[in-house]
Amino acid sequence: MSSLLAILSEQYPGREDQASQLLSLLGEPTDPTPPFIFIYGPSATGKTSVIRSLFTHYDQSGQRYAYINGVECFTPRLLFERVLNAWAGHVPSLDNKFANYTRCENTVEFVNNVHDLLHDKQGQTHYIIIDQAERLRDRGPMLLTMLLRLSELTNASICTVLVSNVVWDKFRPRHGGALEPTLVFFSNYTKQQILSIIEKDCPKDEPPKFFLTFVDAIYEVFHRNCVDLDELRHLVTMLYPKFVQPVYEKQANRSEFTRLFKLCQPYFSAASERLYLREISTSEWQKYSTEVTTETAPEDVTQSIYQMAESGDGLDLPYYTKFLLIAAFLASYNPSRLDAQYFSRGKTQAKRRAKAVAQDATGGKDRQQLLGPKSFNIERMLAIFYSIIVEPVDSSVDVQIQIASLVTLRLLTKTSAGDRLDGIKCKCNVSLETIRTIAHSVRFEIDRYLYNFA
Amino acid sequence: MPARHKVSQSEVQNAKQAVLKRLYGRAALPELVSLDDPLSAVYALLSQTVSSNEGNSALVLGPRGSGKSAIIDRCLDRLQAEHNTASSPKYHTVRLNGFVHTNDRLALRDIARQLLITQDLEHVLVGSFADAFTYILNLLRSDEKEVVPPVLFILDEFDLLAQHPKQSLLYTLFDIAQSQQTPIAVIGLTARIDVMDLLEKRVKSRFSHRQIYVRSVQTLDQFKCIAQLALHISTDDGVSANYADEFNQQVDELLASDAVAGYMEYLFDFGKDTRQLLQTLASSVLQLSVDLPHPQQSPTAACVEREMQSAKLQVLANVSVLELCLIIAMKSLVQVGSTKYNFEMVYDEYKTFMSRHMMAVAAGGAMKIYKKPVALKAFETLIELEIVRPFTTEGGAAFGRNDLLAGTAAGNRVPKEYRMVQLMLEPGQVMELAADRPDIPAVIRRWAQQ
Repeated sequence: MSSLLAILSEQYPGREDQASQLLSLLGEPTDPTPPFIFIYGPSATGKTSVIRSLFTHYDQSGQRYAYINGVECFTPRLLFERVLNAWAGHVPSLDNKFANYTRCENTVEFVNNVHDLLHDKQGQTHYIIIDQAERLRDRGPMLLTMLLRLSELTNASICTVLVSNVVWDKFRPRHGGALEPTLVFFSNYTKQQILSIIEKDCPKDEPPKFFLTFVDAIYEVFHRNCVDLDELRHLVTMLYPKFVQPVYEKQANRSEFTRLFKLCQPYFSAASERLYLREISTSEWQKYSTEVTTETAPEDVTQSIYQMAESGDGLDLPYYTKFLLIAAFLASYNPSRLDAQYFSRGKTQAKRRAKAVAQDATGGKDRQQLLGPKSFNIERMLAIFYSIIVEPVDSSVDVQIQIASLVTLRLLTKTSAGDRLDGIKCKCNVSLETIRTIAHSVRFEIDRYLYNFA
Repeated sequence: MPARHKVSQSEVQNAKQAVLKRLYGRAALPELVSLDDPLSAVYALLSQTVSSNEGNSALVLGPRGSGKSAIIDRCLDRLQAEHNTASSPKYHTVRLNGFVHTNDRLALRDIARQLLITQDLEHVLVGSFADAFTYILNLLRSDEKEVVPPVLFILDEFDLLAQHPKQSLLYTLFDIAQSQQTPIAVIGLTARIDVMDLLEKRVKSRFSHRQIYVRSVQTLDQFKCIAQLALHISTDDGVSANYADEFNQQVDELLASDAVAGYMEYLFDFGKDTRQLLQTLASSVLQLSVDLPHPQQSPTAACVEREMQSAKLQVLANVSVLELCLIIAMKSLVQVGSTKYNFEMVYDEYKTFMSRHMMAVAAGGAMKIYKKPVALKAFETLIELEIVRPFTTEGGAAFGRNDLLAGTAAGNRVPKEYRMVQLMLEPGQVMELAADRPDIPAVIRRWAQQ
């Protein structure tokens, strides 16, 4: 048992407490175990990896535990059959025509099958491990309770292990039949633990201490908005080649950390956010960044950064369609009573002045900008469109066709019933930043027309 | 306290196994505390059916963990010892469970299986329930006698069985029990006190209205006594008398220690959950070995402390600063009076606060205003942890799948930044969350305390 603990601590630094707690709960194969163990914690804390590794080493035969993913088994039958396959050591293959161990469709058959299967293996505890267990809550109210009480129902020694991000309080079924778990909590890693884990990612020909200083700096910058281990590892892997590049190009040596950081500063600020948000994929990033390093001119460096940093969603639409979209946005977010003020041409234009908006108790939080788009009549949008277009529009049929294509592109969402042909209502599905870019591209000052926008 | 006598590996192993079996509910406790009255009532009823071929029915009512199944198991064991011989069973037992037998057809099939009836029953099962059932009972007649042997039906989670359509299983069972044609005993176990209201009129009239109440422990001493019974070992468990005495002495000291005594009072006040108590106490014997042959106090105290923590706050103890800011922003929205809000409003609140305190922030610590997409990603992490849930007006939607991130057909109408949510933490909990963190800037901490 202690050797198993040593193996796990080596593979998963920072998780010694949890691994030892689990191992002491499991004990020897013939020791009694609690009927229900619940493993919980935020994501990327090693729950799945530790439990899988633990069971692979703990039970070499693989026949005493069944590992199920709650997302895969979307009907109870899949769950039952997988558990029985695992415990019977049956693998669906070409020889047995990919059949399962037995056909098992409902709880009664499952309980009976389990009883028959485990009946003569007295004393050996069998385990069911369910990952993403929060999905089990919708599979039927009794499924979870039945799994927890399987030991009582079959008179066999069974332990159910549930692994989830969500705390147990949110699982407890309303009818109250579920057992209380033995809780095992996987906390977030501390800074020291994160550093020791990422240290293992160090590329083979780099000095570890140098790598560690880099990781430390990355952590300091990023841990305020992201403590997820996977994200940090991703950032480190992507940014490290940039960081170490000047050393290979003989522009700096390894001890000058400040200079190295200053050299890769543009990459950090411009591109790391886009990497974090996955707006560009890792392969794109590698392509852009290696392109730059082969050329040494600084203008090219800044140019490629802008290329990476600029938002790629300036929509490529025809001229009138852009105005249609702008009109849709204005219709969604402006109240209709002010349309006359904003959009009528002629003498009334002079009377338009910004009225002071009364601050209500919620601190202005109910303005339309925050509540989301409202639905509007197509006629109203067309009225606004014709008012903001300066030059006269030739044919109105094209305009109607463009509305249809906007709906297909999901830039507008139709909110009236699908088969209504008159009185169609839509709402605009585009965000303010995109509309601003579009308006800028057609040289339309949208800010003059927006009401109560912060 | 060092062991005065050397204990062998096998003794320690036996002790550990015996104690853990009792603690985890896999073996019965040596005696049932304060359950004598219900025990004798149930035993009397069952033995009357077995000995005098009477039909009987009763309901055993009691809260979860009060000992209903333990009583039944004990009665059945006693009956088994007294009456049943292997050659010709004098009576049969059938156990049904509301969690497992989710409709009457399945229940009928399983009854036949439990009665070891191997004939093919498909042709009978398509008919009416009562006919099928009588057919099955008649199959139990052995060749010589004309009489059907008594059958004891134990119905666990009786309230769930009462929710089957038309309650045909219950109707048939009670009908046969009352009409005394064939001797059966029907005992229903349930935790719902109002289960009689669930029964249809025709079922209720055939029921004998016999209700046996099982109460949970009345006093803290009885509660403690249960723990003692589970933890004490005796020579029956395969250990020497000396070892048993020392062990039991250590157990008593453990139960008298502050941490454990406080925990027992806490559990007793909240819900008298014996299973929970025994599970937590298991931590005292998990490390039993030849070097440490007695129950340990420190792992138990650590386990007790773990149990008493709030799981939600534990999970949130290490969220990133941005996520904490979003939580505090939601708390301020709640305090101002909005019951529902969406991501845009939360982000707006965050931005307002940050820009108001720009001067303080710039002086104090490097705290930048994160852009909307980054904040949205942090917000989605909170949704995944179910700290933030979709806003619904009915209270029952607190459980169930979180449709906030997945776009259902209706949900696709509203972009995800505008979907209404609610925070599942109290303002007090948010303040507690911020107070425990040493690494957040003082500005944020003050914001949380407002």
